[in-house]
Amino acid sequence: MAYEDRVHRLGRLTAGIAFAMLFLPPTLVSLYFGIFPPVNKLLIGIGTVCVIYIPIAVAEFLTYTPMLGSSASYLVFVTGNLTNLKIPCALTCIENAKVKPQSDEAEVIATIAVAISSIVTTIIVFIGMILLVPLQPLLEAEVLQPAFMQILPALFGALAGYWILKQWKLAVVPIIIVVLIFVIFPIPSGTEGALIPVMGLLSVLSAKVMYKKGFLKEV
Amino acid sequence: MDYINIANSKILYLLAAMVIVFIMFQSVIFLRMAFKRGKEIGLSREKMIEAVRTSAVFAIVPSIPIVISLIAIAPVLGIPFSWMRLSVIGSQSYELIAAGIGAKVMGVENLGDPNYTGEVFANSMWIMTIGIIWGLLLCIFALKRYQNKMKKVAKKDSKWAEILVNALFFGMLSVFLGQPIAKGGLGLVVMLCSAAVMLLLTFIGNKTKQNWINDFALSVSMISGMAFAVLFTSIGIG
Repeated sequence: MAYEDRVHRLGRLTAGIAFAMLFLPPTLVSLYFGIFPPVNKLLIGIGTVCVIYIPIAVAEFLTYTPMLGSSASYLVFVTGNLTNLKIPCALTCIENAKVKPQSDEAEVIATIAVAISSIVTTIIVFIGMILLVPLQPLLEAEVLQPAFMQILPALFGALAGYWILKQWKLAVVPIIIVVLIFVIFPIPSGTEGALIPVMGLLSVLSAKVMYKKGFLKEV
Repeated sequence: MDYINIANSKILYLLAAMVIVFIMFQSVIFLRMAFKRGKEIGLSREKMIEAVRTSAVFAIVPSIPIVISLIAIAPVLGIPFSWMRLSVIGSQSYELIAAGIGAKVMGVENLGDPNYTGEVFANSMWIMTIGIIWGLLLCIFALKRYQNKMKKVAKKDSKWAEILVNALFFGMLSVFLGQPIAKGGLGLVVMLCSAAVMLLLTFIGNKTKQNWINDFALSVSMISGMAFAVLFTSIGIG
């Protein structure tokens, strides 16, 4: 069997098993302990969460899977924490390895990055759980709260420092547009994710125009 | 029986551990497959080992807020379920929002409210589970077709495929840069500090040709930005 087909077979198999396993805890609580939420309330809740998260899932799928390639994509949608960890991590590794995005080499590097970073996160969360009691005062210390509140600006600032310097031409248009959007529309924090597909599309369109005009030759 | 005893029951710990072990196992299988494939296509072992090192270092700092979310949701949803959800699928912000929706539709305003009963707990669990499965379903049913389409684009014009991927990344990056830029304040200061440290470290790394500096550059930049956040807040700026 060709490598591609093997990846998809293994990916579908493991993702399918993971899918089934996710349902174990709520099923156990409902069947074994006999606690059923009222059906109408449950349906309203499911409706609400789906209205918000199906579009986000579609957007993440369309935006992130081309960056990662097939095998890393199967893994990343099982292990989670995409925007705040896996995607920046995979892209940094692809860049450090000096392989071309969308190549076979990039897919290998992305898979290594996603697998290792999810193992590291799992270990850290495990340690955190074991040390929950002694760690709590430290992690909840008043003086440290600003640091944890600003973790996303710190992460994306660092990424920007690297990438904008390297490919500023691709950065200019989306950043100007997105700043205008944030200035004009009051977008509540926590829902920025909905902008990612919009900006992805606008960014690709502007890149296409620049590429056609021969403005991106040296990128 | 109080619901929290169920939420922290041994059998739930067992299930959570099972799921996490499976996910670790899956990561290891994919890792092995990637190494084999890398060898096949002539990727050097050093490059792959470097990716291991870079990603391991990279993952440490962004994992800390995940532990903080664990502290936030474990008292309400019990340790095992919180542990499982934050270790695998989902993200810190998602779990809090979805669990909150589960509580709200049951008429409970906040997580940890005294009215948060077993039924509300079960409701939160079901809703968190069903809300998160869509990306996974898309992978199972649509990834092959979508990737084949991308491969065709790459074959036709590999230069454009590379730009396309980078443009998608800049689209995502711009969203997270745009908010601090538009709002100003502490977020903007932190962003600029961490960008400046990153520029400096990248410059030093490239000049001295020391690759290990690049491995640590992002984590060090993040920690610097976060340290500045603490500093500026304590002296009253931001």
